[in-house]
Amino acid sequence: MITLNVNGKTYQVNADSNTKMLWVLRDILHLTGTKYGCGIEICGACTILLDGEPVKSCDMDVTEGVGRHITTIEGLAPAHSSKLQQAWIAEQVPQCGYCQSGMLMKAAALLSRNPHPTDADIDSEMDNICVCGTYQRIRAAIHRAANS
Amino acid sequence: MKNAADTGTPSGRQSPAYSQSIEITTASELNRRQLMGLTAGLLLAFTIKDSGRAALAAGGPGVVAVNAFVGIGTDESITIYIGGGEMGQGIYSGLGQGVAEELMVDWTKVSVKPVDASHSWLTGGSSGISRHLIAMRQAGAVARDMLVQAAANTWGISTSLCKPVNGSVVNQVSGATLSYGKLAAAAAVLPVPAYGASGPTLTPDSQLRIIGKAVARPDIPSKTDGSAIYGIDVVLPNMVFAAVKHCPTLGGTVSGTITKPSGAIAVVNLGNAVAAVGTNTQQAFQLVNSVKVNWSIPASSKLIDSSLYATQQKSLLANGNPFTVQELGNVAAAFTAPKKVVDATYSLPYLPHACMEVLNCTVNLTSTTCDIYAPTQAPNLVLAQAISLTGLTAANIRIYPTMMGGGLGRKFELDYVTQAIKVAQAVKRPVKLTWSREQDMGNDRYRPSALIRIQCALDSTGNLIGWKNRIVSPSILFQRGAPGTSSDSQATEGSTDLPYGFGSRLIEYVRDPAAAPVGFWRSVGFGLNTFAVESAIDEAALAAGVDPLVYRQRLLAGNTRWLNVLNAAAALGNWSTKPPAGRARGIAICQAFGTIVAQVAEISATSPTNIRVYKVACAVDCGNAVNPNSVEAQMQGGILHGLSAAMFGQVKFAAGVPSVRNFSNSRVLRMREAPVITVSIINSGFPITGTGEPGVPPIAPAVANAYAKLTGTRLRSLPFYPNATMSDD
Repeated sequence: MITLNVNGKTYQVNADSNTKMLWVLRDILHLTGTKYGCGIEICGACTILLDGEPVKSCDMDVTEGVGRHITTIEGLAPAHSSKLQQAWIAEQVPQCGYCQSGMLMKAAALLSRNPHPTDADIDSEMDNICVCGTYQRIRAAIHRAANS
Repeated sequence: MKNAADTGTPSGRQSPAYSQSIEITTASELNRRQLMGLTAGLLLAFTIKDSGRAALAAGGPGVVAVNAFVGIGTDESITIYIGGGEMGQGIYSGLGQGVAEELMVDWTKVSVKPVDASHSWLTGGSSGISRHLIAMRQAGAVARDMLVQAAANTWGISTSLCKPVNGSVVNQVSGATLSYGKLAAAAAVLPVPAYGASGPTLTPDSQLRIIGKAVARPDIPSKTDGSAIYGIDVVLPNMVFAAVKHCPTLGGTVSGTITKPSGAIAVVNLGNAVAAVGTNTQQAFQLVNSVKVNWSIPASSKLIDSSLYATQQKSLLANGNPFTVQELGNVAAAFTAPKKVVDATYSLPYLPHACMEVLNCTVNLTSTTCDIYAPTQAPNLVLAQAISLTGLTAANIRIYPTMMGGGLGRKFELDYVTQAIKVAQAVKRPVKLTWSREQDMGNDRYRPSALIRIQCALDSTGNLIGWKNRIVSPSILFQRGAPGTSSDSQATEGSTDLPYGFGSRLIEYVRDPAAAPVGFWRSVGFGLNTFAVESAIDEAALAAGVDPLVYRQRLLAGNTRWLNVLNAAAALGNWSTKPPAGRARGIAICQAFGTIVAQVAEISATSPTNIRVYKVACAVDCGNAVNPNSVEAQMQGGILHGLSAAMFGQVKFAAGVPSVRNFSNSRVLRMREAPVITVSIINSGFPITGTGEPGVPPIAPAVANAYAKLTGTRLRSLPFYPNATMSDD
């Protein structure tokens, strides 16, 4: 058994030590907001926070999460109440929405480190892929959240 | 010469693609049972008959079936059940707005749910809102009239003294009110009113409160907290996980028996693939990769090869036997003694879809029932396939169309659904089947390639007097069994009926028999042909020594609708001002699925591999924008999707093996590379047309035209940056 702290709750997980965190979250804990997109750490749809830092969970062994605080999209705030999520709704960011969990986790980490990022800061940090092309609205939503 | 296309005046013009009629009845008990979660009350069933593109794709015109419902619950709920799927294009809010408008309720009171699969329609062709908005408005109006009648009966007064206001009917004599929920049961037993041919009275355009407003899409909050359920998120009790491995060579099949690897719950022979079943997705991926398979590869697979295709396309372009798609005037005469000829050949590659959500499907099959959870653009086709594979009747099969993490035309296909049903039959447990990204890209139905030659004859003043356009491209429809004796409108759309004053013209199509599997890719033939047409117009303008905007304005003289869009984009893109040093602008326009879109791209570049697009100004006329915010989003998204494809997108085949494996060699734009996009919406009053796809086609030629202006070099081959890669930086 592996002990994980996810979104402030403790879970006992029965998984091989080389199971990737993404699939532990999705298939064992049923926290399906974290998405599979590429499996090779490029697209960022699987981004979670590990002690507040964004990491791609698709290539992270579950054991790397032991003793750490793991935050997924489900743990960002109750009922999409965070400033970021409210900004995402106000700017009508998502289209298909599939990449947005990863985008929000990445943006949350950015704002915690840099509460008032410039466009250049945002562009440099937000390197996840969105096939729907919501980038411009994501940038606007991050500014909105920073200013609210 | 008078052009074949419209001249740009709204009066009397019909939307060309669709004809439609609507019948309204109270729903039967059978209908009622088919809907999920309906409470007691009034339920109306709508039969929308049409003969549009999607109906044709489904197997013939004139599809006639009850295909939408409106329910007014005794619990005050207002629910519409529609056959189209939501993939971020805004169909739920758009049609919800229409019902709310006529029911005189706040639109957020209307919830939208998928209808059962037997009543669903294909989600595609940028048609979801344009084709169904009037029907949904009529649905709301009929429900409103019946609720008013029920109130009038209750009070014993004339309906003219009953006014629907915000979810209730007001007695204008006594001031009493009855809510829709309280009236629903009485309304449910009334006959549907007999309307004349014009149907129930709809709100006049001048009094619209909800249609045309930038309302917030209802699917968005759940997409910010992880609670939206896509197909890949479905979890069923006792569920196991399957993954697939296709033959690496297209066309190959499993030969002999396959052995279950240690730790697997099952392996399943799927013909052109094998599946392995495990206890989580990662394990299933690993298990299926470890399955030893002998593949039988037919000789024909080796012919799926890009170098062979390049030779074949050139040969067909020069010597193929063409279908004449459109011929106007005397083309031969026009080319007899022109002052100048522009003769250019454009090539476009095969493209993968690469929806962010990989293909997946979850099936729970018992001896008497089958539940299928699928991200699908075609629930009705999924149902037909399930009937065929399981032998169960439609009444015992339930399709749950989930939220789609992108569709892009790939989720019309049934391959992944078929596999999931077959695996469920083998393991006799609920099973979720997921394709790895490598399987998803390597086994696509790719956007067809095209080789397109355009010849322009110019007179001594540079005017276009003749236009010849020959298109060599595979036919999606032919590959799916359509007769090979006719042309294919989906391969030629965007090349015909152009409103430009070309003088005489000849459009020809030569079907490329390449066996690489092809499918519908966002904007279909418009994406192919607009690149060639709008590049060639630009080449003609440069040959004539005329500004490309001015050249187009002259060619469009009299067509106010196209001109308005073209000029709006030019104004938004500051066409008349000098761009910053090192930059240039290009312009392009198209009419796709009825909607006209023009774009101005401002770029810098020193080579095709470092093109940087700073700004795109986009003007769009989709008749009237039902939700302007959603129209803007679709333009922004279409432009970036088209730009990623133009910059990087391609699939090559080597003896049957596709080149694309993952985003590592199928690059898409990231935020730091994305232009700032501004959108101007023109509400012209023409019939409403769709916006999901028309934003895509103009961007590739707009960028190529800017590049030619900037460098003097014409880019006639897509992608601009072949062999681009991505890494995890």
